[in-house]
Amino acid sequence: MRFSAMRHHFTEHVPFVLAMPAYLWQMYFLIVPLFFIAAISFVSDMSSASWFFTLAHYGELVDKTYFKVIFNSALLSCLTGALCLFVGYPVAYYIAMKARRFKQMFLVFLILPSWTSFVVQIYSWFYLLQKHGMFSNCAALLHLTDGPVSLLNNYGATLLGMVYCYLPFMVLPLYTVLEKMDKRLLEAAADLGASPWQIFSTIVLPLSRSGIKVGLALVMVPAFGEFAIPDLMGGVKDMYLGRVIMEKFLQFRNWHSGAAVVMLSFLVPIFMVILLGVIVSMRKHLKTEE
Amino acid sequence: MQMESRIGRYYTAFVMLAVYLFLYLPMVVLVIFSFNDGDFAGGWKGFSLRWYLEMVQSPDILDALKASLIVASTSTLCSLVLGTFAVIATRWLRLGKLVTLFYANVLVPDIVLGIGLLCLFSVLNFPFGYKSLVVGHTVVGLGFVVPIVSSRFNQIDPILTEASLDLGATQWQTMRRVVIPLLTPGLVAAGLLVFTLSLDDFVISFFCSGTDVETLSVFVFNQIKNQIDPCINALSTCMLLISSFAVLCLVYLNILDEVVHSD
Repeated sequence: MRFSAMRHHFTEHVPFVLAMPAYLWQMYFLIVPLFFIAAISFVSDMSSASWFFTLAHYGELVDKTYFKVIFNSALLSCLTGALCLFVGYPVAYYIAMKARRFKQMFLVFLILPSWTSFVVQIYSWFYLLQKHGMFSNCAALLHLTDGPVSLLNNYGATLLGMVYCYLPFMVLPLYTVLEKMDKRLLEAAADLGASPWQIFSTIVLPLSRSGIKVGLALVMVPAFGEFAIPDLMGGVKDMYLGRVIMEKFLQFRNWHSGAAVVMLSFLVPIFMVILLGVIVSMRKHLKTEE
Repeated sequence: MQMESRIGRYYTAFVMLAVYLFLYLPMVVLVIFSFNDGDFAGGWKGFSLRWYLEMVQSPDILDALKASLIVASTSTLCSLVLGTFAVIATRWLRLGKLVTLFYANVLVPDIVLGIGLLCLFSVLNFPFGYKSLVVGHTVVGLGFVVPIVSSRFNQIDPILTEASLDLGATQWQTMRRVVIPLLTPGLVAAGLLVFTLSLDDFVISFFCSGTDVETLSVFVFNQIKNQIDPCINALSTCMLLISSFAVLCLVYLNILDEVVHSD
């Protein structure tokens, strides 16, 4: 009797014991670090005993050089998001609607490069664009340029690398939404005389809105804090937030002010995505009111 | 009945072609030139396996490979075990909604997580090296394992588990003989995904690795930043092969959907 009671007691606690490690891990190594960063961005100097609450680290960021850095990052993130959307939408549409039995093949070949380290992906472009690389050699052969030129270290190269690495993150959510769409709606619209453009703009596009939002979030949020791609492809001419963060933490060891930049690089894109979402749903609202 | 205009059709076809060319052109050139006999930047000088031989003899590359493999396999194992137990046990306690807590991991940018862990480890005097890398990669891994396994778990027909319990199996037996086998496709898919992600991860490794351990991605990054060793082409080709192999496993085992539809 006592044994069975103990056994019962044991099984009752098993799920707790099983679930705990993952939640603790999540707590200690994700939530605590995030809160820690948020906390130290508001604290004067944590190594001294007389620390106090301050907004000074954010105040430092209200400065011309930082505005430029934030603007650079925001522009890069928006351009990457927009280019990925324009290029990715037709791809997702084609795979979801028209590829039929080749659907899986197209999907596999789409995600295959993104399963490789993005350092390798960037290196492959680096190899093509460098001074004696294939593009520069071809251009020299065609007498477009005199002698070898490096196509690296410019904005175009940075943008190219960004779109190359982030494109699959845009296409997959779009594909998921477009694939689930009820194709009979499109047939019905066509039967009732809608033009192809009307079908696309009044049915396909509005129904894929959630995919667009997810895709933009998946691309723009990390793109805002990206530091390796602009660093490798674009050289050191333009400063981006990711680079500022890296320097503050690894070179200057100025954690407090670095933490404020991290918060910024995290909150600004989220704010941008929310704003975008509000604009999209406001337009929807206005349209239904008409 | 016409659902697409001619222009739309041509545009989609053109973009498809251009995108796939764009995705594969640099990769193909990289692979071809890894067999080049010539130096890093020169033209084609004939076929040779010179750089592959040099790669296997380079102690730096072998160390980086060893570190990457150790970290990737350990963090895959950790996130699979922790994640699966968390999904099953949370359901068992009828707190299913709680697993959405793990869905946030993918939304936290790598740089934020990397910096956060860097600060945490420094404050706690946690040694940088393999342990810190495994911790970071497991956090990322949980963000993929939990959604994939729990969406698989939701697809399990409750009739099966009820039948098993009705027919006299204990909860443990039901778990082992019914639930776990039904979860297996999701587990394999998640495992492959987390393994390749960890092997390829750069940002978190960059911040969490400390000075003693260097993973493959960090090694390649440092090479590009400083002086490029011509072996990098051969090394990149090998990394490409490993991840392609993982994707092909997914296709062969017919579990690609587990990964594609999990976001």
